[in-house]
Amino acid sequence: MPMGESPDLISDLPQSILENILTRLSLRDAIRTSVLSTKWRYKWSTLTDLMFDEKCVAPSTDRAVVETNLVRFITGVLLLHQGPIHKFHLSTSFLQCRPDIDQWLLFLSRNGIKELVLELGEGEFRVPSCLFSCLKLTRLELCHCEFDPPKSFNGFSSLKSLNLHQILVSPEAIESLISGCPLLEFLSLSYFDSLVLSISAPNLMYLYLDGEFKDIFLENTPKLVAISVSMYMHEDVADFEQSSDYNLVKFLGGVPLLEKLVGYIYFTKASPIQLFPLEEESFDLFERDYLDYKLPRLETVRMTDVSGIRNELEFIRFLMGTSPVLEAVVVTSSLSDKDARMEMVVELLRFPRVSPRAQLLFLQD
Amino acid sequence: MSEADMAIIKPEMMMKSYIWLETTDGSIQQVEQEIAMYCPMICHEVLQKGLGAGSSKNCAISLPQRVNPAMLSLILDYCRFHQVPGRSNKERKVHDEKFIRMDTKRLCELASAADSLQLKPLVDLSSRALARIIEGKTPEEIREIFHLPDDLTEEEKLEPLKNLMDDPRIRLLNRLYAKKRKELKEREKLKGKEVEERVDERSVDDLLSFINGKDHKVVKTSKSKKKNRKRKEHKNKVSHNLHSKQQGVQIVDETASSLGGVSNLPSMEEDIFSLKTDSEDGYVDDGMDPVLKEMLDREVEDFARRLNSSWVLSSGQERQPVHFSINGNGATRRLTAFQVMLGSLILLMVFGWQVPEFCGVTRKVIMHSPSSPHWWISTVKGNSRVRISGLTGTEGGDEWFDLFNIILDEASGLPKFDNVPANREELVRDDSTQAAERAYNRVERALTSSILSFLTLVAPMY
Repeated sequence: MPMGESPDLISDLPQSILENILTRLSLRDAIRTSVLSTKWRYKWSTLTDLMFDEKCVAPSTDRAVVETNLVRFITGVLLLHQGPIHKFHLSTSFLQCRPDIDQWLLFLSRNGIKELVLELGEGEFRVPSCLFSCLKLTRLELCHCEFDPPKSFNGFSSLKSLNLHQILVSPEAIESLISGCPLLEFLSLSYFDSLVLSISAPNLMYLYLDGEFKDIFLENTPKLVAISVSMYMHEDVADFEQSSDYNLVKFLGGVPLLEKLVGYIYFTKASPIQLFPLEEESFDLFERDYLDYKLPRLETVRMTDVSGIRNELEFIRFLMGTSPVLEAVVVTSSLSDKDARMEMVVELLRFPRVSPRAQLLFLQD
Repeated sequence: MSEADMAIIKPEMMMKSYIWLETTDGSIQQVEQEIAMYCPMICHEVLQKGLGAGSSKNCAISLPQRVNPAMLSLILDYCRFHQVPGRSNKERKVHDEKFIRMDTKRLCELASAADSLQLKPLVDLSSRALARIIEGKTPEEIREIFHLPDDLTEEEKLEPLKNLMDDPRIRLLNRLYAKKRKELKEREKLKGKEVEERVDERSVDDLLSFINGKDHKVVKTSKSKKKNRKRKEHKNKVSHNLHSKQQGVQIVDETASSLGGVSNLPSMEEDIFSLKTDSEDGYVDDGMDPVLKEMLDREVEDFARRLNSSWVLSSGQERQPVHFSINGNGATRRLTAFQVMLGSLILLMVFGWQVPEFCGVTRKVIMHSPSSPHWWISTVKGNSRVRISGLTGTEGGDEWFDLFNIILDEASGLPKFDNVPANREELVRDDSTQAAERAYNRVERALTSSILSFLTLVAPMY
């Protein structure tokens, strides 16, 4: 190298450092380094993590222009790329349903994709079948898609994290998908309607549910560590209470490792607590029979929108009575009436606590 | 493992233990062990080589090349801070931010040194700092900061992905480049085609002549005889071409000798040609032969063209036979067409006088009466009858008179003319009138024939 003025500072650093630097830049900046010098021309092309969003292209008031530019950009990047692609993130509301996305997914499926995040705009993009042949997937996140696995699909054997948001899919498909991913550790299902689900995932550690669930059954989740459930109410409360046979203990079937339970909005409104398939709701039985049941690691419980109805209170009582290491129960009330709130608080304070350190915390909205 | 070792070490020696580190420039430093062990690479070295390593000046641990003393002290400062367990995350972050504030050159060196010592947190930290320097800057700025050479061509810089903002310009450029590339390719293809075409034709001809030659004569393997045969056949073909093209040009075999330079060329060509066919695979001397052939063909063409043009200009020269190359058709064809038109024009002009007579076109006859000073111009059809017109008088009318015996046409009755002499026998055509006639007619004919010939000239063009 001719040492004229000053030598090149950076181009001769080892490739691992340069990739480290380039991954910390936005994809657009990383690609722009290719005009720096001959050595830098293709340094970006071996990046394994590609994150695309609308900031990759010049902003414009015309949506169609942004869309076409973005499509062209992504296609160009994929074509110029060399080597495997491990992460592909696409989060933009500008792209909805396009055949280009199918082609990109096909390309990725041939290049060893491991992490796929696809957050598209509103519009039912139907996930192509090539996705189901990406067997190295460890993380899958889909948003606003239509998910229809073929009959020969047996699940992603390496999948560890699954996040489905507003997906059009049949419940059987989800169940078989979950049971077909033995290594699944993180599961998040949101924006579903009337879902009846029985979750069987031996390695599942984090469960996040958000939507209108009719019945959730944690059938086989021995390693579950944290649960966060947000449920949405039907229009008619009365109907809901009568029609559903939501069973909390069924819900919390076997979760010995549970450490954190978060319940948002109407979590327990529709749940007549039944420990055993008994007809009557008898609190004495209640007290007596669940002493054997323990949530030995539960440390934090958080409930929002508690409005003091029986089911909720019973649930909290249940939790407090079965968690020897409980540290905090945080309750946020949705009651506006001060008196009603006071009643609820009094009621809650009565409950016996198994854990000596348990604290009952009330947060005001 | 290392913890166990360190646990063993610590209780034994109450004072701090030191490790000796040696950088590539030979300088040896003494460093507290626990600090040095924070670097995985040093740790491994110590464990691999046993506890004796680095314990004295003599067996100091040698550090990788990229770690110079300045960087080593920086890294050790970093390690000194972070290996203390009691610090909170926030403290560490604050320290890191301050630590990383240095000029770009040192940052790069630091990243490199940390990487060779396998100190990942420091590598990440320095990479993050470098990324922060790079992001948001224009290429020129980045090049200046890192002293990068600007050695990409303009074309390379403008690849479609890089400048999304300048789409139409890049598209235009790409189109132009594509066009240029196409042109270059086509030119090369043409060149290749020409060479190949010639080669192919020759080989077919050769085969045919060879076959023909075989039928007539005994096959002799000697090259010279083949050559002669080919030459004659070739000449015959050439003469055939010439005969069909021009009239009255004779090619005699003896003219071969008078060709001089021209004859040498075809013979040379045939030499090469025979060489080609004699070799097993016809394309052994690829590089040389087609090029030479091309050159020779071109020379021959030029010569032929020159000869052709000289023949046309001086019509009637028979001496120089013309060697037509097979590919010289384009230029010579145009010449002969022009010649034809020119010739026809001349012919028309020359013979245009005769044509009207043969075609029966009318001509004017001038007569006069000796007794009066008047001349009469009349139109004559054919040779025998005269029609005196324009002598209208009060009633007018045309009369037919026989030219030689001016006889009144009986059918029309007695004309009533003013100026016609009463005695029509007096209308004569004598020498003066005939001279005038001829002059008059000549002029008229010239005019009509020139117009006709012009029309005939123009018509074939369309």
